[in-house]
Amino acid sequence: MLSRTAENLYWAARYIERADSISRLLEVGYRMSLIPNTNSGYNNEWESILDTSDIKSDYLKYYKELNKENIEFFLLFDDRNNSSVSNCIKNARENIRMVRTAVTLEVWNSINSSFQELQKFTEKKYKSRELPEIIDWVKRQVNLIRGTILNTQLINDGYDFLILGTYFERADFTARIIDVKYFILLPSAEYVGSEIDNFQWSLMLRSISSFRAFKWAYGSKEINSNKIIDFLVLSMMCPRSLIFSIEKINHHLVRLEKFYNRKNKKEIKISRFYENFKKLNVNKILEIGLHIFLKKFIKDLSTFYVSLEQKYFIGIKR
Amino acid sequence: MFNEVYNKDKIRNPYTKIMDWANSLPRNIIVKKKNEAENLFKKIGITFSVYNNFDTSERLIPFDMFPRILTSLEWKRISRGILQRSIAINAFINDIYHSAEIIKAKIIPEKLIYNNPAYEIKMVGFKVPKNIYSPIIGTDIIRTNEKDFKVLEDNCRTPSGVSYMIENREIMMRMFPELFETLKVETVENYPSYLLEILKSLPPKNCSKEPNIVILTPGSLNSAYYEHSFLADMMGIELVQGSDLFVDEGITYMKTTKGPEKVDIIYRRIDDQFIDPITFDETSLIGVPGLFDSFKTGNVNICSAPGSGIADDKAIYTYMPEIIKFYLGEEAVLENVKTWRCYIESEKKYVIENIDKLVVKEVHGSGGYGMLIGTKASKNQIEIFKKKIKSDPDNFIAQPIMSLSSVPIFSKKILSPRHVDLRPFCLIGGNRKNKLVSGGLTRVALKENSLVVNSSQGGGVKDTWVLAE
Repeated sequence: MLSRTAENLYWAARYIERADSISRLLEVGYRMSLIPNTNSGYNNEWESILDTSDIKSDYLKYYKELNKENIEFFLLFDDRNNSSVSNCIKNARENIRMVRTAVTLEVWNSINSSFQELQKFTEKKYKSRELPEIIDWVKRQVNLIRGTILNTQLINDGYDFLILGTYFERADFTARIIDVKYFILLPSAEYVGSEIDNFQWSLMLRSISSFRAFKWAYGSKEINSNKIIDFLVLSMMCPRSLIFSIEKINHHLVRLEKFYNRKNKKEIKISRFYENFKKLNVNKILEIGLHIFLKKFIKDLSTFYVSLEQKYFIGIKR
Repeated sequence: MFNEVYNKDKIRNPYTKIMDWANSLPRNIIVKKKNEAENLFKKIGITFSVYNNFDTSERLIPFDMFPRILTSLEWKRISRGILQRSIAINAFINDIYHSAEIIKAKIIPEKLIYNNPAYEIKMVGFKVPKNIYSPIIGTDIIRTNEKDFKVLEDNCRTPSGVSYMIENREIMMRMFPELFETLKVETVENYPSYLLEILKSLPPKNCSKEPNIVILTPGSLNSAYYEHSFLADMMGIELVQGSDLFVDEGITYMKTTKGPEKVDIIYRRIDDQFIDPITFDETSLIGVPGLFDSFKTGNVNICSAPGSGIADDKAIYTYMPEIIKFYLGEEAVLENVKTWRCYIESEKKYVIENIDKLVVKEVHGSGGYGMLIGTKASKNQIEIFKKKIKSDPDNFIAQPIMSLSSVPIFSKKILSPRHVDLRPFCLIGGNRKNKLVSGGLTRVALKENSLVVNSSQGGGVKDTWVLAE
């Protein structure tokens, strides 16, 4: 497979995942605006949404203040924001268009028609009250696209690159979501079990759409920060936990090595990383410090990306 | 003007069944089917992009559902004619870059060759595989009456449109399967496999194994990108961009996830000047440094060969009957359109005196640009062109305003005639292996009375049917 094809597949999947993540973040914002008495935390929440997607400075280039409708528009449709949902869909489609022959007709159709349908939202002026409908649409499209990938793609190297894109993006995003709010997960005598904590925790779970899943996994009685950390970082039951993504990344990188018969002397670093990850528990993470742990995680992830890039996307001599 | 459907008030034979069908279609069904066709094109992504406008620039080429029909007898003549031309064109290019017999024989004035921007001095004396320079030739043909098909233009660099030929048929078969039961229509779907066969027959000198073939595209913003990816898909070969290739010690490789992989044959869809920034335009970002060198070393074949454009120039076109005679010893099966060459004094005089009745074209122009239609031009435009011709006569030819034949389209309320042309795609391989599918692309001017069929200027397309015997 052409190196560029591999790279296009990888990025298409990343953008699809990102569209999903951004729309879930917006859902959290939307929920917040429906709950009374959150005025104090209001702007902070919107700010952290911008922080999570790492675009606050971009946003402030174009808008003076943090304002709900502007932020929504910026995250959904603003062309100047490279990670806006519409740009994610456009970019995903453009990446796939460049390698059309590497995906099935179904996959192409699902992405292409998402792109065509997107026009019906972008060609008229954005209205905040349409947000729920738009979020639902994005989630539906993403599930449709992902479904066609899982159901119709040949399980070959191209498939591996698609899945790798998904989980690199997801691991990165989940880590950022936790990191932006890591302080609410720290043990603190003052707030433990307070209303604010509960509310903040539920928002965090919702933003990775794991609120109900958490309840199913841990029962509804004692919600506490350790359990949330465990769930979001270390639970193999949670499809958006860090370990779940790492397991997938490891699996597909190893598969690629085998596929290309490149099992050479060098040990695959990700495998060791994954093994170590499995041995972690919440206390160890808190010992390291949650924030430091997450920063390092994000950094390690980008190192793995660089080696993926060098190995497969550059394509000249190894 | 020749109406392909009606001969006076009588419906011509090949169109009787289709007219019955068209007349029996209820209005609402026509509208419904039109939308259906448009949705299919959109869904498959058959779009073309227009330059200068690249964020929302993808457009659909308007498709008209009324098919253009040719009898097997008519097709036989057309196909004989374009095969003959295509073979002669390759012999001509080969001669031009070797002993130039045709110039020595004083059949073509040498200035038309050596002053021509499409003439590539770096190709002189180089033997291309099997002496085939231009394996894919699109010939633009117009019909002027019951008997006469004339050639308007030869395209032997990177002719496009063949994907529309195939997709138009796909869509017609999907929407109106019943038509294909009543009429026996020759298939066009084997074009990609023919193309692959032809390309395979042209391996470079240093290629002992089954050749590795790729299509080289300028990229996804190019107007014909859909076609490039379509052909790659149908042929099962890689679609590469310049950045996917590199040359190391004269050998061309593509960058793959397994590492570098040798490439033997490149079906290129980028222009000569952009192929290789070292040899040609150094600002080219879409080319491959060292590719021309790799080609001349015999490590890779580039189809069509650089310098092939010398044969599809409008000035050379005027000599096509002589070219055919010179190399094949035959009379041309298909006539040219009468053409005045402005570099000849008497012809220039005629053109200037009769400019309001002529079409004047720049010799190197294409796509309907750089031309003047005398009957439609303003006085001012005519004066400008007269001046241009006088100051640079070599650069202009003129032709009578040809009345292209017409075929109806489904206009808003009624069937309404529109002008059409025809572009079949002829494939010339090594060892006399030539292929031609029975059909071509019919382009149609959608504006009433318009003679401009180019898609960049409001033209549409039709499915083209060659009836089986």
